[in-house]
Amino acid sequence: MKRNPAEGKRMIRRFSRLRIFEHWGIVLCTLILFATGLSQRFWNLDFSQWLILKMGGIDNVRWIHRYTGIFFSLGLILNVVVAVAGVVRGKWAPTMFITRKDFTDAVENLKYYFGLDDHPAKCDRYDYMEKFEYWTILMGGFLMILTGVVLWFPILVTKILPGEIIPAAKVLHSNEALLIFLINALWHIINAVFSPEVFPLDTSIFTGFISRERMAREHPIELAKLEEEVPAEPAAAGSGNPAGLPVATLGTSE
Amino acid sequence: MIKGKGFALCLALVLLAVVSLEAHSRETELSAQAAKCLQCHAKKGIRATFAEDGESVPAQVNSAAFKDSVHGILDCTACHAAYRAEVHPKNRYRSREQFRAATTTACRGCHSNGQIRGNPIHANFLKRENEGEAPVCTDCHQAHSMSPVSGGKIFTNEKQYCMSCHRYQMEMVCRNKDKISLKVDLSELESFAHDKLRCSDCHFGFSQEEHPKRTFRSRRDYTVASSESCRRCHFDKYTKTLDSVHYAILSQGNLNAPVCNDCHGAHGIAHVSHTVKGRVLTTQKCRKCHPQVYEMYSNSVHGKALIDEQNQDVPICIDCHTTHDIQNPLTLEYHERIPQMCGNCHANPSVVMKYGLSTDVLKTYLADFHGVTLGFYKKQREKLYKPARPIAVCTDCHGTHSITGTGSSSSPTVKANLVKRCQKCHPDSNEKFPNAWLFHYKPSPSKHPLIFLLNAAYRIFLPIMIIGLILQVLLHVWRYAVNR
Repeated sequence: MKRNPAEGKRMIRRFSRLRIFEHWGIVLCTLILFATGLSQRFWNLDFSQWLILKMGGIDNVRWIHRYTGIFFSLGLILNVVVAVAGVVRGKWAPTMFITRKDFTDAVENLKYYFGLDDHPAKCDRYDYMEKFEYWTILMGGFLMILTGVVLWFPILVTKILPGEIIPAAKVLHSNEALLIFLINALWHIINAVFSPEVFPLDTSIFTGFISRERMAREHPIELAKLEEEVPAEPAAAGSGNPAGLPVATLGTSE
Repeated sequence: MIKGKGFALCLALVLLAVVSLEAHSRETELSAQAAKCLQCHAKKGIRATFAEDGESVPAQVNSAAFKDSVHGILDCTACHAAYRAEVHPKNRYRSREQFRAATTTACRGCHSNGQIRGNPIHANFLKRENEGEAPVCTDCHQAHSMSPVSGGKIFTNEKQYCMSCHRYQMEMVCRNKDKISLKVDLSELESFAHDKLRCSDCHFGFSQEEHPKRTFRSRRDYTVASSESCRRCHFDKYTKTLDSVHYAILSQGNLNAPVCNDCHGAHGIAHVSHTVKGRVLTTQKCRKCHPQVYEMYSNSVHGKALIDEQNQDVPICIDCHTTHDIQNPLTLEYHERIPQMCGNCHANPSVVMKYGLSTDVLKTYLADFHGVTLGFYKKQREKLYKPARPIAVCTDCHGTHSITGTGSSSSPTVKANLVKRCQKCHPDSNEKFPNAWLFHYKPSPSKHPLIFLLNAAYRIFLPIMIIGLILQVLLHVWRYAVNR
């Protein structure tokens, strides 16, 4: 267990440096991609036109979008490779996989919200909402990469595939972008900023630490596992990567 | 005393009046010979008959008019040299021609060629006389009521004055020997837009007093110079032409560039006509210099409808190229305006709906890759990147003057043409590539169903997802508040 002296509370390491870095990477990439992409999707809005002209014109914006897309793709591939390698080598448990429990958790939580149950669902390392976000972005991200490549190289693609693939890719790319934008930019930010438990900001993805109190409330199963294992390896305490704590799991939870 | 002075003054005035009346009547008194001739020739109905054909001309002289004319002091025999009181030959002239020739000879007994040549109008007649044909003096100047040139205006209106000469076939010869007809058809002038104008409104510098001699290098020079007079009234149109491609060509010294008169004519200037006939006529004006373009246009879907069906909805030259400020259509700026030009009709339901054409064509173009890009290129001024190669607009696929109906978009010829067009900018594209474009169709279950379904799926899925997510947030906050 790591204590954060500044807070005077019991803090638990939740995210490794890699995950913090990944989060920053995805923040930057999506910010740029949304600015350059959504302004193209909603090209007829005055704000979009102003933004595009400020960014140096439509051609510039398209190039910025494409090259940022490359970085985003590399990040996404890196994430999957690292996650799969980690699971295969047994370094961490596949905690991000969707299980039956996630569905029962969701129902349980709904009951709790409506006052039919006295406690919320007891979740493991990632609750069903975090998993939902992760998977929508991972799957959506791959869809974006695929359709983005099609839109970047329409002539090459139509050498093999029918021409209608291009407008289909455009529909998918722009609608999926909107979906990811709404989940990410709206829902995720509302949760990470305005949720009463974390307001004014959920800092765990930036510092890597979460309070034990929050762990107990939001991830009780993981906390229980953690506290069972800790006494077995006390030497790990104080290190940046507490032993037994699956710091890097399958995917991030930004 | 005072009475006596007044009487003297009155007497003096009466005397003066009598004396001056005397002097005046003496001045214009007919010669004894003229008075003698007029005893017969003032009678109504008196005619002179020609020997050869029995034709006759009136021989009556209005004595009052003659008395007032500049020639009133002359003896009749000063001109009619063959006659004396005692010698009065019958059928003196063989024919009208001989008679006309004789009258001119009579005039020129006093008016020397040098004197005649001094007037630019007459100088031209002298030249033509050498070529065998010229009007004779009495065609314009009434023989017996000849008035002084200046001061003695006998014409009440300027047009009448000018037409007294310009109704005749006469010519102005340019330095390059081009001939310009100076004959004016008054009926033409009066049935057109400028019927209320006076001649000198356009032909400034000319009047009943002045008739300057002007020579031009060529017929074309004359036309270009005369078009300058239009701007006195039509200054707005004139300033517009200064921005036109035609003026640009003219200012480079190419006099073949059209000027006002080339399209509008000179004396027969018509009112602007929006009838089919007027529109057809307009295309003919452009045709004069652009015959090949006209040829293409007349075979196009627009041209055929205009010419064969008298259709008033189809565009004519000026609808796209405008009238006075005609721009160079090969510039990027012009090219960028084309979707809007076509859209004027093709996005207007009242124009194209009756032909079963879709009004979505402009919208679908503007919303697609080329349209969006073009929209931004139009906004991107000097500082921002703008390619030299124009982005595809309507005319790049549909053609310009030779535009034809598309029929069905699946027709192989249209597609084959489209591939060629795509390849101009995308050289590696193959025959599948044009299908990336939805041919102006809005995706529907029958047209591009795949795109329609994908769109529909997101349209249903997105709101459900967002409502679910927001509910989750609200429920969470609500539970938190209740628990506290």
